[in-house]
Amino acid sequence: MAGTAVAAAGTRQRPAPRRPARGTLARAAVIAALLLFVLLALPQLISLYYVDTMTQVAVYAMVALGLGVLVGRVGLVSLGQVAVLAVGAWVAARLLFATSQPFPLVLLETGLITMAAGTLLGLPALRLRGLYLALITLMFAGAIAIVLDTTNFPNGGHGFLGYNGSLVHIPPIRRPSIAGSDPAYFRYSVVVAVLLFLLAYVHIRTRPGRAWAAIRQSEPAALAAGINTTFYKLWAFALASFITGVAGGVYAGAVHYLYSLDFPAQDSIILFAVVLMGGAYSLWGAVVAALLLELLPAVLNNWGVSADWLTILFGIGVLQVLTTAPAGLADQVPRDLARLGRLLRRLATSGGAREAVK
Amino acid sequence: MPSWQDFQPFIVTGLALGGVYALSGVGMVVLYQATGVVYLAFGAVGAMGALIAWSLINAGAPGWAGWLVCVAFSAAVTLGYGTLFGPPLAKRDPLVKATATLGLLLVLFGVMDLLWTTSGGESRSITLPTDNSGFSVSGVQVDWTQVIGFGLGLAIAAATAVFLRYTKLGTAMRAMANDREITATLGVPVRRVEAAAWLGCGVLAGVAGILLADMVALDATTLTFLVIYTLAAALIARLRSIAFTFLAAIVIGLVQNLLTPISSVGNYNDMTPFVLAAVALLVFSRRSVVSRSREET
Repeated sequence: MAGTAVAAAGTRQRPAPRRPARGTLARAAVIAALLLFVLLALPQLISLYYVDTMTQVAVYAMVALGLGVLVGRVGLVSLGQVAVLAVGAWVAARLLFATSQPFPLVLLETGLITMAAGTLLGLPALRLRGLYLALITLMFAGAIAIVLDTTNFPNGGHGFLGYNGSLVHIPPIRRPSIAGSDPAYFRYSVVVAVLLFLLAYVHIRTRPGRAWAAIRQSEPAALAAGINTTFYKLWAFALASFITGVAGGVYAGAVHYLYSLDFPAQDSIILFAVVLMGGAYSLWGAVVAALLLELLPAVLNNWGVSADWLTILFGIGVLQVLTTAPAGLADQVPRDLARLGRLLRRLATSGGAREAVK
Repeated sequence: MPSWQDFQPFIVTGLALGGVYALSGVGMVVLYQATGVVYLAFGAVGAMGALIAWSLINAGAPGWAGWLVCVAFSAAVTLGYGTLFGPPLAKRDPLVKATATLGLLLVLFGVMDLLWTTSGGESRSITLPTDNSGFSVSGVQVDWTQVIGFGLGLAIAAATAVFLRYTKLGTAMRAMANDREITATLGVPVRRVEAAAWLGCGVLAGVAGILLADMVALDATTLTFLVIYTLAAALIARLRSIAFTFLAAIVIGLVQNLLTPISSVGNYNDMTPFVLAAVALLVFSRRSVVSRSREET
């Protein structure tokens, strides 16, 4: 099955054991504590440079979440998510310049418009699966990049495109009134990201999530079980585009000025690589992917190390993930740590035993 | 609307570029037939070969040595990748195989950006001795590099078609396209045939790298992502037919270049391969879900 093989490889080692309610509670508490720390303490602890970086991490966590829904849940590979992000940023910038609506409303509208566009693109692509779907999204991304290169991003000009070529007195894209400063905007982005993660979580835990899992396992079987595969695949496209569109809106507010150079074609490929590395099968994978994609280059940049090393590392990571660890770092690291712990314990006990014999 | 005179030079460049896309496309189709791999690092390998050649030539090496090193490098990297990652991924889905070549693409891309950084605004170029001499056809200048581009594309496409049809190795490759397991059962040395396909593809990547570095630009990003144009041609031919790959590549080269002088769409001419490939993919894939899934498993 072409479309599901990347996914199927990951499903092999997931016997979902029923966790006791206490574990769920504990996990929720840990997440809440982590969230409180990120929202309240983190902006105070780090420099403005890293606050900006962490805002980007929040944005790309949403983008990775959208791609994770497609790849990990339904088994649809898209190599054009950064182009969707660019579309979202374009729509948000246009709306923010054209109207004086409140920021959250603009984000919602951006998400819905991008959702419509993404679903329209997904409609013909539904005929395709696996490799061909991945390649057609690459083609769409290339075409979108060229269109945006020509039309440019809105910068307060007139007309439908809203582009003003004169390059003087360009107003910045506005932010919400409650989040004008960088730390405040960081908190704002995190809240938006958390809401979208909840949205995705609800989807995964309810009917669509089950339908997606069935489609990922075997599309003919899902069809036979009475699942409307076309509808649920479109739903996945719609959800992913909505999430990515909102991320584009948050991105537009974060950077103030948009250029087509910010969305190069290779970024879609790097994003896909990083999502595979982070793990497309858990929601944490999206956070890991965003940290790899945005925080790591910033740290390296601070140390004076070229970010190209990361590109190389991501390339090796993709090869490694595909050959040995299909569920990504979010799955592999805990398992490896557990294995290491067992090994150490065994070493300790056998060492102790030997001591005793002596 | 520009006059016919304005279009003439673009016919020549279109045919030349189309020829290079064709020879790249043939390499990708043959590799896909033999191994089931869509080699997305095709452009990156050629680009890195061309950059190495540029460095050698800049350091005083003769031109032909640079070109040879370029082809040798592409062939070696491609063959090395094929022997290292081909067998463990052989039974996986085509999507996984193609994604793995994206890993190679990223590695090469990072190395290129690291060693031949573009941020300094430094521009590089490779010029072939055939650039400066040529002839003119009804008032249009044609240089020998363009002749080589088109001629080589045609020659390689024809030679490959004959090779696949009449030689033992070619027959083995076509057999593997049908079914790798059965071919192996019949006593065909599967891995050796695959290695031959990887090697051939690598050589073509090197040749295309040099030619495109001369015709388009010697720039890591541009050359790496020119693979999409090639891929478009190969996809229009459904990754199967050599003749259709050649024709599609020529059409892509021509349409893309002929749109250049039309001012209203000139900026969008680079969309040609994407649009053509997307349409081709959609038209060719009109079959129902269930029947195809049985075919694929």
